[in-house]
Amino acid sequence: MALPSWFNAETLATLLASIISILIVVYTTYYRRKDREFRVRTISGLSAVEDAIGRATEMARPVLYTPGWGGDIQRPTTIASMNILSHVAEKTAGYDCRLVYPTHDPVIMAVAQEVVKESYTRVGFPDRYRSDDISYVSSSQFGYAAAVDGLISRLKPASIFLLGTFEAESLILAETGNSINAIQIAGTDSTIQLSFFIVACDYTLIGEEVFAASGYLSGDRSILASVKAQDIMKVLIALFVLAAVVWSTVETLAGQSLSEWWVF
Amino acid sequence: MKKLEARHFAFLGLFLVVTLTMLLNIKLDMKASPYTQALYNYIEFLPEGSTLIVSFDHEASSLPEIRPIATAVLRHAFRKKHKLIGVSLLAEGTLIGYRLMRETAGEHGAEYGTDYVYLGFRPQYIAAILAMGESIEKTYPQDYLGNPYGQFELLKGVQNYDDIAAVVSIADGSLTTHWIEYGQARYGVRVVGAVTAAMVTTYDPYLASGQMYAMMGGLRGAAEYEKLIGKDGGGARGMLAQSSAHIYVILLIVLGNIAYFSSRRTKGSG
Amino acid sequence: MGRKFPLAVCFLFGVVMFIQYFSQSTAARNLNQTILDYWQIVFAFTLIVGVFSFFKNNVTHISRGADRPYRVVGLIGFCSMPILALIWGIKADTPFMWMFENVQAPMQSTVFALLAFFVASASFRGFRARSLPAAVLLISALLMLLSRSNIGGYFSSGLPEVANWVRDYPSMAARRAILIGIGLGSLTTSLRVIIGIERTWLGGEK
Repeated sequence: MALPSWFNAETLATLLASIISILIVVYTTYYRRKDREFRVRTISGLSAVEDAIGRATEMARPVLYTPGWGGDIQRPTTIASMNILSHVAEKTAGYDCRLVYPTHDPVIMAVAQEVVKESYTRVGFPDRYRSDDISYVSSSQFGYAAAVDGLISRLKPASIFLLGTFEAESLILAETGNSINAIQIAGTDSTIQLSFFIVACDYTLIGEEVFAASGYLSGDRSILASVKAQDIMKVLIALFVLAAVVWSTVETLAGQSLSEWWVF
Repeated sequence: MKKLEARHFAFLGLFLVVTLTMLLNIKLDMKASPYTQALYNYIEFLPEGSTLIVSFDHEASSLPEIRPIATAVLRHAFRKKHKLIGVSLLAEGTLIGYRLMRETAGEHGAEYGTDYVYLGFRPQYIAAILAMGESIEKTYPQDYLGNPYGQFELLKGVQNYDDIAAVVSIADGSLTTHWIEYGQARYGVRVVGAVTAAMVTTYDPYLASGQMYAMMGGLRGAAEYEKLIGKDGGGARGMLAQSSAHIYVILLIVLGNIAYFSSRRTKGSG
Repeated sequence: MGRKFPLAVCFLFGVVMFIQYFSQSTAARNLNQTILDYWQIVFAFTLIVGVFSFFKNNVTHISRGADRPYRVVGLIGFCSMPILALIWGIKADTPFMWMFENVQAPMQSTVFALLAFFVASASFRGFRARSLPAAVLLISALLMLLSRSNIGGYFSSGLPEVANWVRDYPSMAARRAILIGIGLGSLTTSLRVIIGIERTWLGGEK
């Protein structure tokens, strides 16, 4: 079958994978979620969120939440982080605990202000919302790191949430938090920074756990449905990798390529 | 006065170790790793006069590590008479990139406009990478100095990535990933990296899968590259300090474990 | 209407950008170029929000007396660079560039250099053989440090090879698995945004 001339044939595999992924997400979101219970395994870092905020309230110290320097608002990790922020803000509003949110991006700041304001309003405490606690500090990586470090050193927050996309500033922030004995819950999509967080923080959400976190905390069925979709896709990828390994082994044993298009 | 803790002594020790080794003038014998050798071979065996984009994807903070890395690659590329187009995806890397290109070009008698051009900074790195895949001229109507794109001999016939041999991303963060995810995946441009040591393991999976063609990592990579091109650029000296810091950290880990097990024994017997 | 319009714009552009990715027609490429141009223009305007917010926030805190010295220093730096740029420009050998090279760059390098000190303290505290997995982590860390420090070869010529094997196989396999998980998480989050069931980016409506 000939492909239309406007279609870039090199992207055919990507198109097929995209269509399969979209169908799985749409199916789990709109059909499966209606009648099924979604269960997510216990994620200790997320179970500790309430304790961390409670600790800050008891110690009369603020909670500091920052999304890292590496992301912008179009990055899915930042959006996932906003979902967790929404939950954290509901708790800090309820406990009347100060929430400080420094960021490196003006758009993230504007969205975070709206998210926090909405959360405070939702739980019935709009008067406790302080817009100047959610602030833009610097777009420069180490300007941002210095500013957040300064805030941690001066405010001595009892609990610190480092959730988003982090780069080299991760260990600087986590170690400063550790030096003031704050409970630290971290999570990022940067694989290299995960190792720093695991060493320096109390709890670390690894990669996809950040995306599952908002569904886990809020119980929102549409988000939990997409976590289910991820599991289905993971099984498909594992099967595909297995098939590729077997095929590749067969070809090696045969000593020749057995197909022109199925090549690894 | 604030009470000194164990970590303060750890800081002081590191300061002393690095300072003292920087004062020593010891030459370390370096053997090029396969990764560094692959980057060297790529630039060495490219046909003379190939066009490369050199992207300065770093901030001013990492200059001590980035300078030897960038200098080594630029020297090699200029020596092989490749045509270089300099860009920057982070504002702070813009002037640094321009200066480094000008310095290394001067060493090799390369002329601005014919042998290299510096296009400068464009905001929103993902948009900039994607836009260059469509048209470099539309993304950069002028060079860094304000001259029109079409004025330069080097840029005549350079429409998009199809006319580029590879992008050399000199990075201190994850920007090289965007070159791979958008430049390589979307437009098929070859991406090679020259990155800081902290970022090396981030790019291993891309290197193994072939999405990234070659990589030089950190001061060690710079020192190895300097040996390959036979010109010192500060990487070897920095590597000495780095090696001593590594040994110091190993000692700290051993000390930490001794302290941990002795405290456990004390608790157990008490 | 307040939320429907941005949701519709998001859906429209999400679908258009998805389709154009697979097209090689001139119209699709021109559309892509135009959208990317506007993306950069919009980004430039968002910086104004940041500049205004930074100024307002610091002035408010200074008037309240909170963290006054730090915020005054911040504001001086914030105002002085654009003033220098406006008067003398930003080309080489101008006061702006002098400040950039001799004040801003060293300050940033200093904060970056803190990382080395924190690596030392984190290693001292964190790498302890409390359990079998922790012991494996500890041994891997020691292997890596030795092999990357140029002295590994003095202990054993095979040490760098063993370290490279750890990096290229077990470590790489784990990182790939994490990357696949992150990729799928990003994909589903992006789809939720395009479909319109993820609305946090609009400011918190669930």
